[in-house]
Amino acid sequence: MEANRYLRPATLEEAYQLLLQDPKNILLGGGLWLKKSTPSANALVDLSALGLDAIKDLGDRLEIGAMVTLRDFELSPLVKEICGGVLTEATSQIMGVAFRNGATIGGSVAGRFPFSDIITPLLALDAQLVFYPHKEMSLADFLALKGRLSDILTHVVIKKSKGRSFFKKVKTTALDFAVINVAIASIDGNYRVAIGSRPSVASLALKTMDSVNNKKKLSKEEVLKAAEIASEELSYASTNAASAEYRKALVKAYVKRGLEEVSKE
Amino acid sequence: MRVNFVLNGRNVIFDIAPGEYLADTLRANHILSVKKACDESACGACTVLVDGRPILSCSYLSARVEGRSVTTVEAIQDEVNQISDFFSDEGADQCGFCNTGLALTIYALQKEMPNASDDEIRHFVAGNLCRCSGYQAQFLAIKHYLEAHR
Repeated sequence: MEANRYLRPATLEEAYQLLLQDPKNILLGGGLWLKKSTPSANALVDLSALGLDAIKDLGDRLEIGAMVTLRDFELSPLVKEICGGVLTEATSQIMGVAFRNGATIGGSVAGRFPFSDIITPLLALDAQLVFYPHKEMSLADFLALKGRLSDILTHVVIKKSKGRSFFKKVKTTALDFAVINVAIASIDGNYRVAIGSRPSVASLALKTMDSVNNKKKLSKEEVLKAAEIASEELSYASTNAASAEYRKALVKAYVKRGLEEVSKE
Repeated sequence: MRVNFVLNGRNVIFDIAPGEYLADTLRANHILSVKKACDESACGACTVLVDGRPILSCSYLSARVEGRSVTTVEAIQDEVNQISDFFSDEGADQCGFCNTGLALTIYALQKEMPNASDDEIRHFVAGNLCRCSGYQAQFLAIKHYLEAHR
């Protein structure tokens, strides 16, 4: 790609100042989609010397550094323990091992990629994001933001929930982007349903969640009704990979299967 | 700018552009075993090892290997010959364009998961596409290679 400078700042403040200096200075996460998303830049600001590559156990939460690679995230026993291993399962389906050795959690989240297979389960788990210098917000709020943030995503924080989960990525071959992906988490009697690659970026299916939450046990009819709501409440579009109608039909089928799975006694 | 790293066991210093990718740097410096096919992180043909782990050199900035170790098939000829023999035995080769990237991935698999199950083998090499041989013969060759190392 075209770039005038490559810089590896030693502090977050230095990285932040570089970002403020010029809108054409860009942050480097893993950089795997850089070629496609940003053909040219003034300075490439590499975050790899900032100690953001650790997964820390904070007791009831995990703090994932933005520069943790998808492969290290996938292989982490701490991550696997969360909600039945949904994050491990989803991450393992992202491209191949060599890709995941380069791509980072921070880049995957900050990029708000519509095809992301990791944003969807993170949304279902209500992940929180920490930015430098001082912002914190939920992933759901971050995805709803318009425009570019000048802050630097430093950590993704995930509760160490012990509930049940479901993840489905619909694809034809191992390296395809998802035609649709569905993540459902059931934690302490509450369900969170996230749907991504519609082909727009993942969203929570809030009406679907309302229809099933606060119920002791889900009946077949309630599950069917929720699946119907999920296929109707979000927008779906057609691409070369799949039509909007097909995506809606997939969502209906997999929300049904997912709710059946996570609500089993 | 300059980048200083260990390439196949040798310290090297190369002049690079700030936005240059590792596959281009290596090929410009006569490491022609590194192939470029899709050039967009999708096929695995450009796989090399950075500090022992497979990465996609078509999408990995050269500046990022500063102080690190890069391995291509030139450095592991004995292992590559073994892999090649198992591929021949199974008829897993055709054009061979993807082989160098695949061989490095298989080498990394053997180091990381010497007792990989069938599913783990398939999962580990899923990122290396081959347009001609089909995958079953390759799978058997990899399985026999791992068995030979146990």
